Amino acid sequence: MIKLFGIPFKNPIFIASGVFGFGLDFKEVSNKVGALFTKGITLKPRPGNPPPRIVETAAGLINWVGLENPGVDIFCRDILPKVKKLKCRVFVNVAGFSINDFEKIVEKLADRIDGLEINVSCPNVKEGGVLFGQDPKIAAQVTGAVRKRTRLPVIVKLTPNFCDPLLIGKACIDAGADGLSLINTVFGQAYNAHTGERIISGGLSGPAIKPFALFCVNRVSVLGVPVIGIGGIETVADVREFLSAGASAVAIGSALLRDPYLPIRIIRELKVVSNISKNEKL
Amino acid sequence: MKPKLIRAYITAKKQLNPDTFSLELKTSGLRLQPGHFFEIRTSDTYDPYLNRPISVAGYQRSRLLLIIRKAGRGTTLLHEKNTGDRILMLGPMGKGIIPKKKRTLVIAGGIGIAPLYFLAHNLTVGKIPFSLIYGVRNHGDHILISELKRICSDLILVCERGAKKKVTALDVLKNMDLAKYDIIYACGPKAMFVELQRMKFDQPIYVFCEDFLGCGCGICIGCAIKIKGTYKRICIDGPVFNLKEIDFNV
Ligand SMILES: Cc1cc2nc3c(=O)[nH]c(=O)nc-3n(C[C@H](O)[C@H](O)[C@H](O)COP(=O)(O)OP(=O)(O)OC[C@H]3O[C@@H](n4cnc5c(N)ncnc54)[C@H](O)[C@@H]3O)c2cc1C
Ligand SMILES: Cc1cc2nc3c(=O)[nH]c(=O)nc-3n(C[C@H](O)[C@H](O)[C@H](O)COP(=O)(O)O)c2cc1C
Ligand code: FES
Repeated sequence: MIKLFGIPFKNPIFIASGVFGFGLDFKEVSNKVGALFTKGITLKPRPGNPPPRIVETAAGLINWVGLENPGVDIFCRDILPKVKKLKCRVFVNVAGFSINDFEKIVEKLADRIDGLEINVSCPNVKEGGVLFGQDPKIAAQVTGAVRKRTRLPVIVKLTPNFCDPLLIGKACIDAGADGLSLINTVFGQAYNAHTGERIISGGLSGPAIKPFALFCVNRVSVLGVPVIGIGGIETVADVREFLSAGASAVAIGSALLRDPYLPIRIIRELKVVSNISKNEKL
Repeated sequence: MKPKLIRAYITAKKQLNPDTFSLELKTSGLRLQPGHFFEIRTSDTYDPYLNRPISVAGYQRSRLLLIIRKAGRGTTLLHEKNTGDRILMLGPMGKGIIPKKKRTLVIAGGIGIAPLYFLAHNLTVGKIPFSLIYGVRNHGDHILISELKRICSDLILVCERGAKKKVTALDVLKNMDLAKYDIIYACGPKAMFVELQRMKFDQPIYVFCEDFLGCGCGICIGCAIKIKGTYKRICIDGPVFNLKEIDFNV
């Protein structure tokens, strides 16, 4: 068991946003993890992008799903009651396209969940599409606006794209964030080498980004708040690397596409490892 | 049936044509129907990273049959496996179909024969009469001809190139009396589905979609297909869809 933001978690293995829906398809897995970060929820329903939404690349994939989700109202009415029955902490990933979006979503969610993960990787429509999370001032504004409207733990999920997570992270903490999670996907594109046609432009994830994710986690670890490490985690060894870099817990993302039962195995193996080291100490 | 993580031994491997081979895997206790597929791990490394979806082509006495065409890296690695090797896979995935007792026409294009071979078997077992049009690109590409002849009394083999006359499965279809059939099933390349959609059949036509998938089990929303104006997931809402409801021009 670990304690973060003043609340206990069964273990430090979490599920990252967007790769496990609302955790309802594999409940036996959701029930075992410390926390589930839901698919990003927006104010209005979003149909998502046309195919192809996922293209495999070297040791990973690029996604351009487009935040397909039913919107906060339908989420609260139809999905949340089921999600609440899961035996893990549930953090809703909040995705807005304006500060007002973030405020409204957080108000509608109220205190029916365990915490919020603020997704600042969306384009800010009012500022010409710059990501909220690329500018410390705007990221702090979003965080402050959310902070005013909730007593739940607020985690800001940082983008690593064309900005320094240390600067953005500090601004968010000063504005009231309780913790940070990182990294979100890294900008990426793929082209057809024969025709020159672009196949996809989106976010890269998977083992390909792990070293960069470790670097980013280590960079923000000096800020003194709990950090959730994310990026290319596939094995217990990967988990230990993130913990060594300064993460308090980790979230598994793309690896679930290869094996939705992976968290159960990682949790079991971690227990065995920690029991062995306890016995060695005795 | 909820997908499980399965480690299965290869009990037989056969080369069916220069590009296509079959693997028989030992795995018991499954309830499988045409349309079901498995997500196969093709490598112990991250190359390729994602699993590869392969249809159930047969299941009898704890033996699962897969028919695979070498399309790229992942399927080539599968081709390098041999009898006695173990394969890691997740499944069954997708929604299977139970064929109705109706006069049935089955149309296969190329590797599209894989799931339809299982369908043909089930039609035979259910004593449902059916015709099968099976088109391939090159002479010699047809696979499992003697098995198909045994189970299908009305088998029409067509070849686009190499033979004396250039014909496609769709050419055959255009000259057929389709009023004989109550239902049509098809599997093949997307171009074939688009053509079939243009033909505007009177009877229902169901197609087995073989697109690129992320997870195969509904969690990534990476496999969008537009059905009656809204996005559905190929892997969980399909892979078998009513062709008349698919919008290919998204
Ligand atoms: C439900 C389902 C059932 C299937 N059943 C069978 C079956 O029974 N037998 C069978 O042989 N195959 C089947 N397939 C197809 C099979 O999954 C693919 O052929 C396989 O994944 C190819 O993997 P690969 O690594 O060999 O090829 P890859 O190297 O991944 O790709 C092969 C070719 O496709 C191109 N390509 C790669 N990604 C994309 C993309 N996103 N969009 C467009 N083109 C792309 C590549 O450039 C390359 O030319 C099925 C697919 C689905 C979805
Ligand atoms: C298909 C897919 C969908 C995702 N959707 C979201 C999302 O809705 N919100 C979010 O904050 N992150 C989303 N992410 C990012 C992941 O949560 C994670 O930060 C990233 O993929 C890096 O971790 P990984 O390498 O383990 O996948 C998504 C990632 C993938 C692959
Ligand atoms: S492939 Fe992931 S949802 Fe269909």
